[in-house]
Amino acid sequence: MLIGAVAPLVVGIILKVLFTPEKVGISISGALIYFTIPMPLQNLPITESQVNSALVIVTILFLCLYFTHGLTVKAELKRQLVAEWIVKQTQSLVKTNMSDYFSGFAPFVASIMALSAFSSLLSLFGMYPPTSDINIVGGWAILVFILITYYKMKCGPLHYAKSFGDPVPFLAPLNVISEVATPISMAFRHYGNVLSGAVISVLVATGLQGLTNIIFGWLPGFLGNIPFLQIGLPAILSVYFDLFSGCLQAFIFAMLTMLYVASGFPEEDYLARRAKKLARLKK
Amino acid sequence: MEIAIGIILGCCALGAGAAMIAGIGPGIGEGNAVASACEAIGRQPECKGSVTTTMLMGCAIAETTGLYALVIAILLIFVAPNMLVNILLNAVK
Amino acid sequence: MQSLDIISVNLWQILISLANLTILFLLLKKFLYKPVTKMLEARRAEIDSQYSDAQNAKQSAEAKDAELTERLVGAKAEAESIINEAADIAKARGDKIVEDARATADGIRRQAEEDARLERKRMNETIKEEIVEVSTALAEKMLEREVNADDHKALIDDFIDKIGEN
Repeated sequence: MLIGAVAPLVVGIILKVLFTPEKVGISISGALIYFTIPMPLQNLPITESQVNSALVIVTILFLCLYFTHGLTVKAELKRQLVAEWIVKQTQSLVKTNMSDYFSGFAPFVASIMALSAFSSLLSLFGMYPPTSDINIVGGWAILVFILITYYKMKCGPLHYAKSFGDPVPFLAPLNVISEVATPISMAFRHYGNVLSGAVISVLVATGLQGLTNIIFGWLPGFLGNIPFLQIGLPAILSVYFDLFSGCLQAFIFAMLTMLYVASGFPEEDYLARRAKKLARLKK
Repeated sequence: MEIAIGIILGCCALGAGAAMIAGIGPGIGEGNAVASACEAIGRQPECKGSVTTTMLMGCAIAETTGLYALVIAILLIFVAPNMLVNILLNAVK
Repeated sequence: MQSLDIISVNLWQILISLANLTILFLLLKKFLYKPVTKMLEARRAEIDSQYSDAQNAKQSAEAKDAELTERLVGAKAEAESIINEAADIAKARGDKIVEDARATADGIRRQAEEDARLERKRMNETIKEEIVEVSTALAEKMLEREVNADDHKALIDDFIDKIGEN
């Protein structure tokens, strides 16, 4: 099982090593395009980010299988405790941030967290993190937007339309804009955080390389080519930008999802409506 | 021709630099948020967990404007020059 | 090898990542949450059953304890009643013995009185006889005459009776 979890990472690293073109100087670019599939409206380029996110999904699937195989009531295995901890944590998180009505949201929140965190952490292995591709994060944000709208629609389209003219009716355009801005800001927040980390890492690395060339360039032979100054600082930056920021952004994305969905859902109205409907059905 | 391309590149870089002035806002805002969070934790150390979570959420939302600026700066540096130069070349043709 | 622009929006990629998240949600639900929730339910059921078992055991122990206490109280009462009964019987028997003894003693005394009375009577008889004999002999000796002994005797008896009455 663990082999199945590690294998996609190895595949990703091999792909990265095989297909990365030789870089000259500073180069900050998007994902590599492996090949392009012609599609209506727009061609679909199969890029590093697509492949990497698929690999991440396979990794998570095998991790799940590893954690949950051989579950027993008495919890003899340590990995079972991990699985239980994950389940209980996400359930309590959902319960505290949303209401009891959303108890089925725990797997969704867990999947957002896992996908986002693992995608961001791929950069620790030198792979292209899919979260620094706007399309990937945008897809998640649009799914969250669909969920928000779905739960707002629960009370009927009329109630939904009425919610736009909430304080005064002529503010409706602003409400529409703020509604649309939600997924965009979520996508750009996640994307911008990961990408800015990557950009700063590249800038610092190249800057340190130049500095090393200036200071230690006089050393004879291959000694002059060793980037002495690149040894410590990029690792610290990587710990902050890849590890901390990646996990934090995953957490924030999941929290914002929960808060937006829970705050958009008019629970009291919905429950009152459902009670009324049940009463009418009983008659 | 070269002068035109140079002007495009220089203006893009200037625009990107100007866009990142927006980094001031989130910096001040997050500083305020963290200061208030520290105060709150100092006053009520038992609420440390929830205060920290709320502070991180607030920081993330305050960061959004800065990140919009960052995205625009990145667009100006990496995407806009190619696009504008292509437009220019097509126009010249 | 070409690479994408750093920001490039592609509809199909967005759809694919949306589908990816949905697929991962379903996978997690099926492979992580379902088994773990099932296991937690099973654990809760087992704990509940153990609790109810313990409750039952406690209840039965309490019932047994109460029964034992009751039985102990009953035994004590029974013992007391037995003791009381025994004491009663003993008292009755003692009374009876005393009664018997008294009765016996009374009988003995009565017998003795009877005996004494009879003895005295016999003594009286004897004394009377002796006196009669003595007096008869005395009278025979004194009178020396032919007197009808029977008349004599009657006379003397009469006389002695008078004496006795006096």
